[in-house]
Amino acid sequence: MATYAEMQEIFEDIKKDFRYEHELNGCLNCGICTATCPSAHFYDYSPREIVQLLWTENVEQVYDAMQEKIWACAQCMTCAARCPFKNSPGGLVAIMREVAIGHGLQSAKDVLRPFGRVMLKLITTGNQLSPDMIQPDHFPDWGPNIQKVEGDLKILRRAIPMKTLQTTDTAWEVALKTSVEMYTIWEMTGVLKQLETMDENLFDVIEDFIEEKREEYEELLEEQKEAE
Amino acid sequence: MSGIAGHGEFFQPTDLSAEDAEKATAWVKKRVDRRELDLGERMDDVREHMWQLEKEGEIIVHRVSEAHKPAMVKTLFGWDKKIPTMQLWHHKSCGQCGNIPGYPTSLLWTMNQLGMQPGRDYLDETDQTSCTAWNYHGSGIGNVESLAAVFLRNFHQAYVSGKRLGHQPGHFFPLVHCGTSFGNYKEVRKYLVENATLRERVKKILGKLGRLVDGKIVIPEEIVHYSEWVHVMRKRIASELQKIDVSHLRTTVHMACHYSKMVHEDAIYDPEVLGGNRAAVGTSMAEALGAQVIDYSTWYDCCGFGFRHIISEREFTRSFTIERKIKVAQEEAKADVMLGIDTGCVTTMDKNQWIGRAHEQQYTMPIMADIQFAALACGADPFKIVQLQWHASPCEDVVEKMGLSWGESKKKFEAYLEEVKAGKIEYLYNPELALSA
Repeated sequence: MATYAEMQEIFEDIKKDFRYEHELNGCLNCGICTATCPSAHFYDYSPREIVQLLWTENVEQVYDAMQEKIWACAQCMTCAARCPFKNSPGGLVAIMREVAIGHGLQSAKDVLRPFGRVMLKLITTGNQLSPDMIQPDHFPDWGPNIQKVEGDLKILRRAIPMKTLQTTDTAWEVALKTSVEMYTIWEMTGVLKQLETMDENLFDVIEDFIEEKREEYEELLEEQKEAE
Repeated sequence: MSGIAGHGEFFQPTDLSAEDAEKATAWVKKRVDRRELDLGERMDDVREHMWQLEKEGEIIVHRVSEAHKPAMVKTLFGWDKKIPTMQLWHHKSCGQCGNIPGYPTSLLWTMNQLGMQPGRDYLDETDQTSCTAWNYHGSGIGNVESLAAVFLRNFHQAYVSGKRLGHQPGHFFPLVHCGTSFGNYKEVRKYLVENATLRERVKKILGKLGRLVDGKIVIPEEIVHYSEWVHVMRKRIASELQKIDVSHLRTTVHMACHYSKMVHEDAIYDPEVLGGNRAAVGTSMAEALGAQVIDYSTWYDCCGFGFRHIISEREFTRSFTIERKIKVAQEEAKADVMLGIDTGCVTTMDKNQWIGRAHEQQYTMPIMADIQFAALACGADPFKIVQLQWHASPCEDVVEKMGLSWGESKKKFEAYLEEVKAGKIEYLYNPELALSA
């Protein structure tokens, strides 16, 4: 359990985000946001409550909401489209999630553990999912009709008439140079650091992968130079 | 006839003359029609600030020029938006390409059918990443700076992409396939225009990547979703390409949240479609093809995708989509098909039907994108082009209702797979065009 000072620091970090002023303009407790919220149907979650906690600067309960409630939000932004005050409860949740990660909250680590595959794919390839991740074995709840033509995935993908889509481990073929540019973005914006805070093992795997890809790119540039 | 769209059965048409109807509602419109309000103080049009920043030498605006043959549309508050119809850079969706490949192939096929020439009128290339916003909205990993850098990197590439084919900078204008990318990019553009500190920080990154033009970042004049292109082309698609009568089909439309609820002032509203009261895209294509568009009470609801939930809390996703979408479309609208305009929604509604059996909720509904439905109506092959073999929902039913034989098409496709194995692959464009870097 965090001390009050730690909770205060977390709250100040939320408020420090420049989007905070955009996303929170006042609240009359009208509850339109919660009435229209998909997550409120199934979770103990109310966007109105999130807005109220922030608006009233209820530091302890903001911290409490960051343990579980903020992860219920589906980020559809229906609340933002509907709020008469032009608040964006979904946008505020996004800020709170970022701060939860920045502070390495255990609850965030627990929630995000099953999301690791997507993050690995995203950080290393610039794509967020790939055909080989969507195989029937991974999604038994999608039923037996998940693929209407049987066959080898590689062949089925080659039967897609766009060259860029004839891949299995990325959604489309991403040029090596493009991936390397993306790694620079991750580094310079602190995304890799966020990842290290959340999951050190995943971070190590990703760091090795990035190093390998960069070497591959350097070699490619050398080859191109020699060819010239 | 069961009531008026969206108002339930107790509402019935008044049968007033157009003149009397105008009189009866004029005072209401005057008070509440959002397009009549003076929005000057309530909401900024970010595009106006972009011109100012360009004047001050801060940014370069990638213009929608006459060469892009733009069509003008109106957005929520009656603002104008230019939709380029030619010279388009396909900014793909990772969810579509990985999971619903018939989505982009149907779009490119339609462009080809309209006479657009790959390499001149559109480009699909490998030098692009996803917007990374699915991950951000799901996990909170990432931040405004990373999202902005990814946005500007990808859109800079769109700006310069024509160079290797002998075109001027700005020749290709980005056409964003994914609804979440569309919403995210618009949000990020707004932040970039409003926040000088963010611009400075991101500029350093773009500089390191060699992605500045004359030392400036490039921001597009408009951010355009593929469904907007479909919307402005719908009459041409229907009049020039349609081969199959779909007037007997009952369609329902699911509006993507990240199309109409994120930066909602930029979504297209058209008085010809749903009375101008709801976002027009998707519905407008189905109507242009002559299909019946049936309303249902949960039209405005999200699909239940949830970004994180579809991966790691699927019980929420499937419960919501069955309860609030599939069941309603089947029971209320008795629809033959549900049409989506975005990646996550089509995936969610398509894949989460079978599991309903576990709770005796046996609701089924073919799910596909507006452009896949349009391509089918225009004679595209259900397998080779529309790629319905990747869908889990019973799309075969709607194909049969269109008068096509699912079984015959499948046999032909299986024979084609043998040719693919032998290296005889049919492409929508010369594959060499794709290899950009």
